[in-house]
This record gives sequence, structure tokens and C-alpha cells, in this order.
Amino acid sequence: MITEENKKVAVGISGGVDSSVALKILKEQGYSPVGFFMKFWGKENHCCGVDSERRARKTCVDLGVPFYRLDVRKEFKKQVVDYFLKSYQMGETPNPCIACNREIKFKTLFKKIKEFEGTKVATGHYARIEDRLITTPEDKNKDQTYFMWSLDRKLLDNIIFPLGDLKKEEVRQLASRVGMPAAKISDSQEVCFVKDDLSDFLKDYIDLIPGDIEDKHGKKLGTHIGLPVYTIGQRKGIGLSGGPFYVLRKDVERNVLVVTKNNDDLLEEKVSFREENFFKDLKFPMEVKAKIRYNAPRKEGILKSKNQFEFKRPQRAIAPGQSIVFYQDDKLLGGGIIN
Amino acid sequence: MLMNTKIYLDNASTTPVDERVMKDMRPFFDEKFGNPSSLHSFGQEARVAIDESREKIADFLNCDPKEVIFTGSATEANNIMIKGIIEADDDPHVITTAIEHDAVLETVKQSGANYSILDVDEDGFVNLKDLEEEINEKTVLVTVMYANNEIGTIQPIKEIAELIKTKNKERDKKIHFHTDAAQAAGYLNCDVKELGVDGLTISGHKIYGPKGVGVLFKKRNVKAEPIIFGGGQEDGIRSGTYNTPLIVGIAKAVELLKEEKRKEETEELRDYMIDEVLKIEGASLNGPQKSRLPNNANFSFKGVEGESIVMILDQKGIATSTGSACSSKSLEASHVLKAIGLKDLDAHSSLRVSVGRKTTKKEIDKFLKILPTTIERLREISGR
Repeated sequence: MITEENKKVAVGISGGVDSSVALKILKEQGYSPVGFFMKFWGKENHCCGVDSERRARKTCVDLGVPFYRLDVRKEFKKQVVDYFLKSYQMGETPNPCIACNREIKFKTLFKKIKEFEGTKVATGHYARIEDRLITTPEDKNKDQTYFMWSLDRKLLDNIIFPLGDLKKEEVRQLASRVGMPAAKISDSQEVCFVKDDLSDFLKDYIDLIPGDIEDKHGKKLGTHIGLPVYTIGQRKGIGLSGGPFYVLRKDVERNVLVVTKNNDDLLEEKVSFREENFFKDLKFPMEVKAKIRYNAPRKEGILKSKNQFEFKRPQRAIAPGQSIVFYQDDKLLGGGIIN
Repeated sequence: MLMNTKIYLDNASTTPVDERVMKDMRPFFDEKFGNPSSLHSFGQEARVAIDESREKIADFLNCDPKEVIFTGSATEANNIMIKGIIEADDDPHVITTAIEHDAVLETVKQSGANYSILDVDEDGFVNLKDLEEEINEKTVLVTVMYANNEIGTIQPIKEIAELIKTKNKERDKKIHFHTDAAQAAGYLNCDVKELGVDGLTISGHKIYGPKGVGVLFKKRNVKAEPIIFGGGQEDGIRSGTYNTPLIVGIAKAVELLKEEKRKEETEELRDYMIDEVLKIEGASLNGPQKSRLPNNANFSFKGVEGESIVMILDQKGIATSTGSACSSKSLEASHVLKAIGLKDLDAHSSLRVSVGRKTTKKEIDKFLKILPTTIERLREISGR
């Protein structure tokens, strides 16, 4: 129910179709949304450039919603980009959206809504909230709950996901029907602050030191251009003949890339993880489903403790630095960062 | 929120166009649209309006109409003067201050000339001794703003002019003195003879005139190379078709200053506001107590971000700013506040409140009612 106390909603807007429609829905539902456009870090950030800002502002003005621009470049650089780079240096494959959601997006919106004497925060993410838990959205193809595992559970009472019950196609149609500036904008993908090529970006910030490529028995097979640019399970771009080879491991101490021809070497059942966060108190062991990449399917297994999980059937290419996220039916239970 | 309940306290960033100015401008968009440089009656009619406008401005500045140059903005006027003088000199040296508007500071820095930037004291005033020390045999231009846009400091323009005059007596290369009066024109004496300046800049939209028009007073004997080339308008110093409606507009706005110069009333209202705001715990005034632009107030509130105050006040229908509107997109703390010795944290907690012709005591009272709770709330949230 909408009351005077919860009427005001801080909405994170990017000028894209999802957050624009979210804003419109909230307005129609009788809320008083306030649009906050966050200026993240990166010269050519494709989520928050001048075009995005212009669209976001126009959308707000058209809807009669206040618009504010928040410069969070400094915090973003520190909390997201530096973490991203450090993770690569440690030989991991980070997921910056997780850090951004927790440390930047929701934190900033909650700070603002407190200042504005309101309580609610909304974004254009595809997810739902039911009984104090995040659940998967109507549009299973757009499910963004994977990126939400690290949110503080205390916040869930005050988050609204207006797009949870809609299909992406319906969102697009709604946007073009009312002539929103964002109607024709394609979805943002990949890491927002990396322009094209990840290795080009990394080269600018960290030293890529070439080293040996070895097989799992320690036999040298060639040379790599720097460990950070490779991901566990990667096949293309290793540069060895007589393959295919797959990246099996990164030995950061020796600066060696370990590869294998045998795809089965990449299979693992046990996953240990850190920085865990759960949305409710769990009793271990517990049967759940887990996801190890945004695009991976959920697979059955047992959550043995707050830091250990075991898949029923082995999974291929479990990459340290990525998130492992746990579900029970449609409910997001929590997650952690893979060691 | 209804439009008429909104309160505008950001008159230093821009002012609404006076309806009398609107009325004078109106016919020159369509009815009297001729190009003032044309031979025919359409052109002549417009030409007369330009001439009359020039005379009105010359009257205000107490100068020869030939010394009035219409430009597209105060920024452009500053550029024409500063770059023009630098271009006309073989080995120029320029002196300016640390608290100039970017329209002067950046122009000087980008010009390629040697330059000195004078520090200011904790209230923003330049020191004449510092200026004297920086003058060397190559110095060709001193540019010091009349009144500061963020903290309202009124510089001792007459004294600076005196000093330069004395210096000029004992040297061959003449030092020119320019002042950016964009903020000052609305309230302060702009008689160029009394002030003793060789150049002075005015902006239309700061004095209830239109945006997109400025005036440069350039004393006839000042040698400046044009930086814009074309049809040779304005004695070749500023080519470009005369923007008749806007020129008529700025002239009317200047003319109205005579009857609208409510300096004392403005000051009284502003001082009342300052006294009340300073009762808030951790509030301090940035800029001087005396010799301050009548409409300007600038505060810092310990432990509170200025930007957050501005947003919350906006939510409540009150428009203010953290400092200069031109730099509000930058993460950097104000160069003006840093120059008067504020630490980064205090400079980020600034709030500029600038009253205007239409500001009422009732509006100030409403602002004074909302501000303390806003500050308190923000402090609670940030836990300081």
C-alpha cells in the first residue's frame, strides 16, 4: 500500500529502456519517483555517457519526475574498478556488477532516499521480491538475480523491482508506445567501463607480464601474454597449435598458464567460496541449486557449510572470482565469491 | 508543487528577463527583423536600435559609444579583451587573480602568454603590494574581477587602477587594466572613468536581460587584435551579424539598473539571512563581511555535502547552488573556496544563496525555516 511515508521512491536511472519504464510504472502506481542518474567511472563508459544522461533527463522531464545527477566516479573507481583490477592481478575473473550493486548503486540510492525523507528504492532490474526474499522474474531470459546475492538483507523490505512481472518484450513495447527516448536503445552488456577489448583495457592499468604456457605435467608448450587476459575454460585465443587447448589453471606465483587438451580436466564438484551473504538463516547441509556464471544453468548440489558447496554432477570451468549463487526454487538464497 | 510556490535563490547564476526588457526586444524578432548592416529601410530601422542601445550602455558606463562592443556573452567579451591584447603584443605578461571566473582564468592560461596569478586573502581580496611585485617590464594586462561570483568579494578596483596609472607614468609599455563586471553590474558603480579601467565586461542575463549577449567596454587607445574574423562589425573587433533583439535587451536591462538599483534593500535582506543562517551549529560564512556584493551569501556547513543540501532544498521548491553553476558538474572543489584557504571538505560543504529583485522576506523566512532541519537531517544520516 502506498502511504505518505513510502510514497517517495529513489529510482536509479540509466537512460536505458528498463529503468525508464520502471520510472513510468512507479509513477502510474501512484508513487512519487525521483530519478537519480549515476555518473560512474570511465572515459567511454557505455552506460552513463552524455547520451545516456540526456535520455535519462528527457525521460524524467517528460514524466514530470525530478532528475538529479550524482557523480559517483570516485567511489566507483575505488570500490568497483580497483577491485576489478586487483582481482585480475590475483589471477581471478571478477564480476564488477556485484560490487557495483552492493557498494555503489543501492548504497547511493538508499543514502539519497534517506536524505529525501523517503524509504523506498527502485531499479529497472528484472527480479522480484516476495516475503523478504529476492525471487526470479517473469522473464526468465532476463533474470538478473545472479547480480543481487550480495545485497544487504535488511534492505529488501524497501526495494521495488517494477519490471519483475513483465517480459522484456512488453517493456520495449510500452516504451515505444509512449515514445520514450530509450525505446530503441539496445541493452547494455559486458563490463560498462571497458570499451572494447578487455586486454586492451587491462594493459592500461596493470602490467601484463608474458610467461610460459605449460601442460598439467609442467611441460612448456608456448608463451602467454599475461595471465589476467585468460579465463578458466577458455579455448580461443591461447595461440597454441595442435589443439584445441583449454585454460585449466593460472599459476600466479610462477606466472604460468596451465592448459589441457582434455576437457574433462576442467570438471569439478567442490566449490569453496568467500564473502558469503545469505538472505535467510540456513541449516547446513542443505539441498539447493547453484549457478556459477550469469549465463550458466542452475545445477543441483549440497550447500555443506557457509563456505562450501558440492555439485551433484561435476561442472566445467568453475572460475575463481566469479560468484556462486544459490537458489531454492525461485528464491535467491544468497551467494559468495568462488575461491 | 505549484510553480508560484517555488523560491528562486540562485540569482548569481542567472536572472529572469524583466518584462520591460521582453517588451522592448519583441519587435526585433519579426517585425523589425532587418540586418542592421543593410542599406534598405529594414536595415536602417534595426541600425537605429543598435545605435540607441549602444548609447544607453555608454551612458551607464560613462564612456564613448564607440567604446562599446556587443558580444555573444561575457565569456566572449573577456576573451576578446584578454586574447586581443595578448595577440597585439610581442612578449606579453598578464596578471590575474586566483578567484577569477573560468572565463578569465582559463583564457589567460590557454593564451600562451606568460602570466602571474595573484593569491587572495581569506576574504578573497587581492593585495596591492602583491600586484605591484608581480608587475614587470613585459606586463601588458592586469585583469581582476569587480565582484566574485561565488563569495561576492568586491575588489578595490579604483585602487588597482591608481596603482597601474602610477606605474604607467614611469614606463614605456602601457599596462592595461580590465575588470570582469558580470556579477557587479547589477549593483555597483560601473562608471569606467571613475573606476579608471581600460576594459570592462558585462553580461546580459545576470541583470534581468537575455542570455547570449554581453558587452565589452574597450577604451579607444587599447590595442587589441580581433580573435573573430568576418564581416568586420564592431570596428572589426567582433565580426558577426548584429543580434538586434538581444542587444536591445541588454541595453534595456542596463537602463533599468538606474531605477532598480535597490542596493540597500537587497543588502538588508541578505544580511538578515546571513545572521539567521549563522545561528545554525557549524555554519560559517565564506567571503567578506564588508565590501561584498549585496545579493551574495555563501556558507559552509560542517560535515554536510553542499550538493546534498541543494538537492533537498530543490525537493522543497527552493533553488540554490553549491557555487558556480558553470562548474557544478565537476567533482573538484571550488577553486575560489580553495583560494581563500578552505580545506577540500569544507569547500565541498558550501551553499551559495543569491537573492534577487523579486526575493521577498517571506521567501527568505521559508528558506530559513527549512534549512536548519535539512542540515540536521543530513548530519544525522552521515553520522557526524
